Amino acid sequence: MTNANPKPAEGGQPVDHGAEARRWLDNNLPAVMRTDILQDNDPSIPEFRAWEGAMHEAGLVGITWPVAYGGYGLTLNEHLAVSREIGRTPMQESVNSIGKELAGPIILNIGTEAQKLELLPAILDLRNIWCQGFSEPNAGSDLAGLRTRAELTGDGWRVNGQKIWTSGAAKSQRCLLLARTGKAEDRHRGLVLFAVRLDSPGVTVNEITSIDGKNSFCEVFFNDVIVPESDMLGAPDEGWTAATRVLSIERATNRMHRAWRFENELEHLVTACLGDPATRHLVTTYRRQLAASRVDVELLKGHVETLVASLVAGEEIGPKGSFPKLFWSEAHQRFAALGLEMVSQFPADGSAALKAAKARMEDIYLKSRAETIYAGTTEIQLDIIAKRILKLGRGG
Amino acid sequence: MTMHSDLNPADFADTAQAVMESCRREAAFDGRAALLAESGLLGVLAPETAGGMDLPPAFAVPVLEAAGANLLEYPLAEALLLSQAFGESAEALVAAIVDGTIRPTIAWSGELAAQRGHLARAPFALEASHVLAFQQDGSAILFEAGSRGVKAEAADTLDVTCPEASLVLREAVEGVVLPVDQVAGLRQTGLLLRAALILGHAGECLGLARDYADQREQFGRTLSSNQAIRHRLARQSLSVETIRNAIARALSAGCEDRELAVWSAFLGACDLGATVAEGAIQIHGGMGFTWDVPLHRHLRRIKALAAQGQAAHVADLVAGRLTGTREGGMRHAG
Repeated sequence: MTNANPKPAEGGQPVDHGAEARRWLDNNLPAVMRTDILQDNDPSIPEFRAWEGAMHEAGLVGITWPVAYGGYGLTLNEHLAVSREIGRTPMQESVNSIGKELAGPIILNIGTEAQKLELLPAILDLRNIWCQGFSEPNAGSDLAGLRTRAELTGDGWRVNGQKIWTSGAAKSQRCLLLARTGKAEDRHRGLVLFAVRLDSPGVTVNEITSIDGKNSFCEVFFNDVIVPESDMLGAPDEGWTAATRVLSIERATNRMHRAWRFENELEHLVTACLGDPATRHLVTTYRRQLAASRVDVELLKGHVETLVASLVAGEEIGPKGSFPKLFWSEAHQRFAALGLEMVSQFPADGSAALKAAKARMEDIYLKSRAETIYAGTTEIQLDIIAKRILKLGRGG
Repeated sequence: MTMHSDLNPADFADTAQAVMESCRREAAFDGRAALLAESGLLGVLAPETAGGMDLPPAFAVPVLEAAGANLLEYPLAEALLLSQAFGESAEALVAAIVDGTIRPTIAWSGELAAQRGHLARAPFALEASHVLAFQQDGSAILFEAGSRGVKAEAADTLDVTCPEASLVLREAVEGVVLPVDQVAGLRQTGLLLRAALILGHAGECLGLARDYADQREQFGRTLSSNQAIRHRLARQSLSVETIRNAIARALSAGCEDRELAVWSAFLGACDLGATVAEGAIQIHGGMGFTWDVPLHRHLRRIKALAAQGQAAHVADLVAGRLTGTREGGMRHAG
């Protein structure tokens, strides 16, 4: 397989990473990964591994990670150029986005050299799929209230507790686990991060059926699970502090392809409508709303590209990461509602193209309900902006 | 173009703010023109040979943001646009715009046929020395406002800060022609400069609402200690940042589709900017509904800027691009 994202030869012409990515995706996207055609089933884990492994080999994944850890050692600008083309491609989201966009950057930031060498390449080639063990039944947005305990014993850390809303845990090999070493009253103090093996004795994963009828959600129980000290990320206290710093950047940059994916979804909807005499009129009926959605996409690109420029310039993002999160999640819900309303008027005996568009829009609508909840709810983002950007007082 | 690699648009913000504050205290239109000229701000986009700084449009953004925030009563966006558009062809004219002796405006609505016709949406046309009119052949002409056969009348418009006038041209006017191929660029840049003005208006409304909410006490605590108010203000903050980032992207070197980015920055500014001003009025309660509190002036101005830029038509261009129908140029939008 040719590498879509080679580094420029010394003194050679700069590589157009976006164009290379476009060419590679056009030539290699397998039908099973497409979201713009009707599929009987979701791709299997082996199919995900084959596709995402190929993307990694082609240079479309791990773009900014150091070469020593399986990455390509390039900058956020190249990551952005490739992300645009990934977004424009109607394909499944990564099955390992927690690994690539959350665990990976945290490990890069605070992991030991041994951890980096062991864990990072396995994220990129999907040997290790990761899940995020942060939320608990009584600690969702208020993570500092979490109760899962970690005690240091002679064998390592002994972990007891329960996590919930752990997307993808049933197919994961590792869990980015947040636990506490002290009392629940300690709040943000005494929090520790682990890279826990999910095949460890004492780990139980139960699936939860989510709004779309699928079993992507899980609850995970840790019952006297022994985690070796070598799987602790950073020191107690340090891990969480560093992780929150990384998270503020990740909130701004994760799934950077999103704006271009939304553009692709919108264009798919319009193309499907225009392609059938029975639905062509919908484009006229919803002309103004379609234009508003298109503007939303451009405004989201403004958030993403401005933040990337700031990061490349070495500026701190801090609470500004809340702006794109808030904007994309709500803009996508607006589009999703429009898409659903339009496809609900498709004829029952419509063409395969109409059926594919209908299935995709229904899926987007349901999944988009989660987007204002995960990665910090809308309400949490608004609180962050009110407190840390507007610096509103609480006095009176 | 001059070397400006050592300059940063943000460096202009403080100067622009100070000049706009001076303009607020200056009652006369010509006096404000003189203040703007003295500061050099009228020459930001004009060529150096005409006394300007020959800077790219990004440098006009903080200047217009400050103009909007301070409710500047001068057609500054129009002056900047014309100084840039005529920069190559009419050096003496541009020099006079830069030094404030020519105080031009643009009639954003209407077209002339054989240099005659009806024009509208010309901010400050009663005070301006020159008016640019668009012509049916796609070109534009800059003529003296006092030319024979030109009759200007105050228009009944929503905006009370930059009042618009309508003009009737019963005789053919003489003037300097802006060729067809430059008119689209002027209109397109005009959309971005309007977005920058709206950014200033919206930012000021947010600041006023924020300060009011932090000081006003009801039920024994500040308004801003209520989550309903905090979240409303946070949304307004998101809107302001969205406008700011959309403008920055539309002006960035790597912007993939600049035309669409400019349309979207303008439409986003019109929509979100108005929402911020409306929200600020709500947070001020009854005070927000009074004439003395300036929020309505900002809101009126945002709506006027949306109308001058023909927001509905620009939205139709966006839809046309998406659906492949009624694809149009920028002839009427701007």
